[in-house]
Amino acid sequence: MVADIIKHFLLTGVALSVPVIGLSAQTSFRDSVDLEPVVVTASLSPKALKDAPVVTRLITLHDIKIADATNIQDMLTQEIPGLEFGFAMAQETSLNMSGFGGNAVLFLVDGERMAGETMDNVDYNRMNLDNVGRIEIVKGASSALYGSNAVGGVINIISKENLEPWTANFNSRYNSFGHEWRNGASFSFNTKKWNSQTSFQHTKIDPVDLPKAHSPEEIAIELMKKAQGLPYDESVLTDDSNLSRLYGQKTYNIKERLIWRATDKLTLTGRGGYFFRTSERDTYDYHFNGYSAGLKGRYVWNHDRHLELSYAYDQYDKANFLPDGTRTHDHDYSNQQHVAHALFGQSFGRNNLILGVDYMHDYLTTYQFIDNTSHSQDNIDGYAQFDWNITERLNIVGSVRYDYFSASSQKALTQRLAVVYKFPWMTFRANYASGFRAPTLKEMYMHFDMGNMGYMILGNPDLKPEKSNNINVAIERTNRIRNSGFLDGRYNFTLMGYCNIFDKRITTIDGGLYEGMESALYWNEDGITVWGVDVCLGHIWDCGVSFRLNYSWMHETGNVYYSDFYQPRSHSMTWRIGYDHRFSRHYALDAALSGRSQGKPQSGRSDVDQGYTIWRLMLQHHLWRGIHLNTAIDNLFNYKPKSYYYCSPLTTGTSFSIGLSVDFD
Amino acid sequence: MTLAAVAFVLSMSSCSSSDDEPEVAVADQVVGSYTGTEVLTVMGEADESTETFEFTKTSDVSVDVTLPKYGEGMMTVPALPVKGIMLTKSGNTITGKLAQYEGTVKSADGSEKAYTVSDIIVIFSDKTVVVTFTQKYGNMPFAFEGQFTGTKK
Repeated sequence: MVADIIKHFLLTGVALSVPVIGLSAQTSFRDSVDLEPVVVTASLSPKALKDAPVVTRLITLHDIKIADATNIQDMLTQEIPGLEFGFAMAQETSLNMSGFGGNAVLFLVDGERMAGETMDNVDYNRMNLDNVGRIEIVKGASSALYGSNAVGGVINIISKENLEPWTANFNSRYNSFGHEWRNGASFSFNTKKWNSQTSFQHTKIDPVDLPKAHSPEEIAIELMKKAQGLPYDESVLTDDSNLSRLYGQKTYNIKERLIWRATDKLTLTGRGGYFFRTSERDTYDYHFNGYSAGLKGRYVWNHDRHLELSYAYDQYDKANFLPDGTRTHDHDYSNQQHVAHALFGQSFGRNNLILGVDYMHDYLTTYQFIDNTSHSQDNIDGYAQFDWNITERLNIVGSVRYDYFSASSQKALTQRLAVVYKFPWMTFRANYASGFRAPTLKEMYMHFDMGNMGYMILGNPDLKPEKSNNINVAIERTNRIRNSGFLDGRYNFTLMGYCNIFDKRITTIDGGLYEGMESALYWNEDGITVWGVDVCLGHIWDCGVSFRLNYSWMHETGNVYYSDFYQPRSHSMTWRIGYDHRFSRHYALDAALSGRSQGKPQSGRSDVDQGYTIWRLMLQHHLWRGIHLNTAIDNLFNYKPKSYYYCSPLTTGTSFSIGLSVDFD
Repeated sequence: MTLAAVAFVLSMSSCSSSDDEPEVAVADQVVGSYTGTEVLTVMGEADESTETFEFTKTSDVSVDVTLPKYGEGMMTVPALPVKGIMLTKSGNTITGKLAQYEGTVKSADGSEKAYTVSDIIVIFSDKTVVVTFTQKYGNMPFAFEGQFTGTKK
């Protein structure tokens, strides 16, 4: 019944603000099996997860709650094998997903892009999970639907849909790592005409000094022994750590979304948001501001035809401040994006046609340009997708898209062809997709003396777009076991193999001497080929116990570049053993023992993190009338890195958290 | 009896000619120039060079040292003075420690830049010195970890 309501709700257009990405096969196991959830990302239109044309990983509301994650970084780290967050320069967060960096993975919030890209990554802190209903992840290229940056994958964060007349939530959590506090509140109301959702979140984390393997005194003593020709311990003198301190930070995030169902056919959605983050550094405080706003209209003529028009604005600013509050103006940065969409959908029986056009104006001013000047570019695209349900068992989805970028005068034509065939005992999927990433304004026009050290980073206006061609094949089986005693329940198994050929990769090379200074120059290089296999298996027993395992293997060939900032790992795994049970009317328990394991880096380098396994125990107590008490022990077995590299797990050992969440409705 | 005891003490004191010489201040025992190898590590990458560290006395129990400049041309970290390293002596070893020193210095382009040197440990033994430290200069988003081993000229 609940599933039907949700499905109906999503399929009939209230879900305007829900753009689309579909991950069908690997899912939050419980919800995917029990509720047959709808996903949008893989096909730009709502489809049951089991029918999505491309393997889609769905992180459900239940997953989000049991993970008790603060932001998308915490969440994805726990759920997706082969995905790691580390640090880039200036301790900004960077992403690596199956061999692709943050600029090759497109993040969307309700289908909209975000401005940012200070270090090839958006600011993941902006994507808090306070009001998120689900996250859909499509691995591989998706540029035929989403355009630039959808080279290695698309991650679509989709807001909750509240159907109750009104709801309110207040929550607070303390985590011993960095003495982190997270406080949030949300409020929603829903009438026949109006639906509103407001959320606020504040986080604060203190600086964390990362322990060194040896104290300065111990190092000095061994150094003296060495100098005097006495026996000494060489390992004490060697410390490859890239990091010694994690800077503290505070964030404030407020969002509002308002839906007006003007008529039975017309729905308007407005949204706005403000984000502020301050990071306390040694010399300056970094201030980051994010502003977002959007308006979307959806007109539904009938069950077969609809039109969406939308406008979105996103701005991300950065500036440095002295401890006394004075703005230095030597690190001013502002990225602003205006995006307009038009999307038309027409059904022909069981078949669906989607036509769309987009326009984006991208503006960037930064201290990394000559004289803090600015550059901008326009991106115009058009796309079409036909979803052809040939029989009950066979479905073919074809997409094609054309993009034009004004600054580089670059064009890109991308395609996708996805085939789904449902055998009685399993579902087979095959998918070809092309992807591209247009050079960013920064990559074209950068002229930056790094750290005022006389080392220039130079942009290159002649850069070509990065290109990728992705092929994947998957089988999936979901079924129920009955009358078998111990195994009674539902299970799911997905096996996917993929190959992603990535060319014209944009990176920096030695630029020789520039005005007497050494330099690095942005350049298109030969690319890589990424091979991989993803396995997901899970079982939910009728008694309330559940188990899920995600394993990922990947291998890069070609012009593989092993950066200090990320190290692709061949083997990675996440798992979760869960138990939920209602003991009485006033008490229910959700327990989860989860973990993640990262293997050694493919590079074989010994001077970077050599892999690790971290376990987590989470107990969620559901008490009387909407009171939830969350307790967690992270890094259960007290794993401590010997050295802290950019790609090391950010842990100093076991930590705990306790949180309280109160729902009113 | 008391007078006898006092006389004994005085006589013992006067007989000990070596004890009569005042102890040389620890700072005076270590000041001077030391030349040797400096290893600077930044973000896990090490760079080795031959440098000279000059220790000067600021009090009987403290010294200053200047960390030598690093790099060339515009890409230079200038020499960074560190002041007030407190010394203690144990046997033949003199150890100096300073948790943190903050200062400003003129950079290669003439502008004034702030810097911080922390976790400074100095050990003197015979004519040898070792120094370990962490230095952060200007807007650089990363710190240098330094190790120096030198001998007195």
